[in-house]
Amino acid sequence: MAAIKANRESSAQTRPNAWQPRRGRLRTWLADHRRVASETSLFISRRIVSSLLVWLMIGVALAMPGLLWMLQSNVQSLSQQWQGSTGLTVYMALGASEQLIEETATALEREPAVTRFQLTTPQQALDELLARSSESDLLQQAIAEVEANPLPASFGVILDSEQPYLALEALSRQLASRSGVDEVVVESTWLERLRDLSRLANRGGSALITMLLAAAVLVAFATIRLAIDARLAEIRVLALIGATRAQLRRPFLYLGSAFGLGGGMMAIVLMAVFLNQIEAPLESLLVSYGSDPELSAFTPQIILLVLTAGWLLGITGALLALIQRLGMKNSG
Amino acid sequence: MTYLQLQHVTQRFDNGSEGLSEVTVDIEQGSMVFLTGHSGAGKSTLLKLLIGALVPTSGRVVVDGSDISRLGPRALPWYRRQLGIVLQDHNLLDDRSVFENVALPLRVTHLGTKEIGRRVRGALATVDLSDRGHLYPRHLSTGEQQRVGIARAVVNRPKIILADEPTGNLDPYLSRQVMALFHQFKDLGSTVLVASHDIDLIKDQGCRILHLSQGSLVQDTDGPKD
Repeated sequence: MAAIKANRESSAQTRPNAWQPRRGRLRTWLADHRRVASETSLFISRRIVSSLLVWLMIGVALAMPGLLWMLQSNVQSLSQQWQGSTGLTVYMALGASEQLIEETATALEREPAVTRFQLTTPQQALDELLARSSESDLLQQAIAEVEANPLPASFGVILDSEQPYLALEALSRQLASRSGVDEVVVESTWLERLRDLSRLANRGGSALITMLLAAAVLVAFATIRLAIDARLAEIRVLALIGATRAQLRRPFLYLGSAFGLGGGMMAIVLMAVFLNQIEAPLESLLVSYGSDPELSAFTPQIILLVLTAGWLLGITGALLALIQRLGMKNSG
Repeated sequence: MTYLQLQHVTQRFDNGSEGLSEVTVDIEQGSMVFLTGHSGAGKSTLLKLLIGALVPTSGRVVVDGSDISRLGPRALPWYRRQLGIVLQDHNLLDDRSVFENVALPLRVTHLGTKEIGRRVRGALATVDLSDRGHLYPRHLSTGEQQRVGIARAVVNRPKIILADEPTGNLDPYLSRQVMALFHQFKDLGSTVLVASHDIDLIKDQGCRILHLSQGSLVQDTDGPKD
């Protein structure tokens, strides 16, 4: 009784403006956030296996668009790097006369699609080969043992990059039919195909990314909804004792954030594993095309982007679940 | 001084039935009043209107001069912080200790940890459960659980205590103990409204009795004047 009386006396001083909302003190508001954060950590640690599965599901759904986006930006950057080398290499037949070489050069000069070209004589080609093979004694020895120069003259032809691919094909056929020309290689063939693939990835990728991101939101939504259902009794009690809407929503928004951020981290791990697997064969493929590619993988921006996307997806899922289960569209 | 007022309150539900019909009643501040009647008489509906869980179809529910049916979703929680609510099924959270259950109303008001500890210990002492704070509700008897529910209702020093069948699960001895507690809070200035169908227990309390039948107030019996 004495305890009640003491409580009662001190409470008399704390009751002005009985039920009008008052601004909470920042310190206690922050303390409440800390408490909810700690409860969320506890909630997740007590359900670590199911939480890992949620992170994995969100991670997979995020990693796919992330990888597509990285692939797309790398393809774009590679095609820009190789824009200048779009063209043809015209290989003359072995022993082609100087006159045939000059006639071919004149034909290239007259061709409007040709921006510029450069002749590499058999001797220049041999010198270049010897320079490149300086570290291989075996190759040097093999070249020395060959009596005549085995390399033909060739023209490196740079073409107008605006030319359609079909026009380049026609030019290549026309040059190949000339006397003294052995072979014409269209250097841009694979690049054109890569660009076509990139365009396809752009269109199909957008739809795929949308679907996968929607899947990530749905995973967060379903998980938070289950969490709300499991805590309905607690929500009822809290609402009855005067918890505001913000206080009722806060644990679930924290949970959505935790699932989203965890999913983002899982996505980064999955992307790293995938990129690690394909790094060596991809580099070897690109080097085989005579390029020294610089692929952009995990820049801080990409990591930040994936984590932010994960967090936003988690929060969106949580908000949808709150609206659906508790009808909490308004802040409060 | 009139503190709680129901003015021509009618509560009609979606299925067309009437929970309350044109009920008008005034309750003085610091009084203890019993609501009685058979199941479905409208006792719980009246309490839900006072809690703000229902909005009357017509009429006004006025508390301390404010029409609470007009409180928006932002103001309602602040109103509820002035109430102490005791329900028959306790509504204790199984995964929290007795201490944490009692502390819940203080947590939502952002009180400091020390103050929370002080008040919870005081409330538990009031219901004679000082040594049960560390236990979980499943470890307690029904009577003890009910007393934890009462401790939670009073820990925030409510102006109004609303109790719906608070002795429904208790034996006569515990029921009298609970009633004694409500009298203590009334004596300290709280307005106490208890819904119960235990006529024998109610008669012993010497308080005003509102008798509801089929949603209407059919009898208003004054208790002895203090």
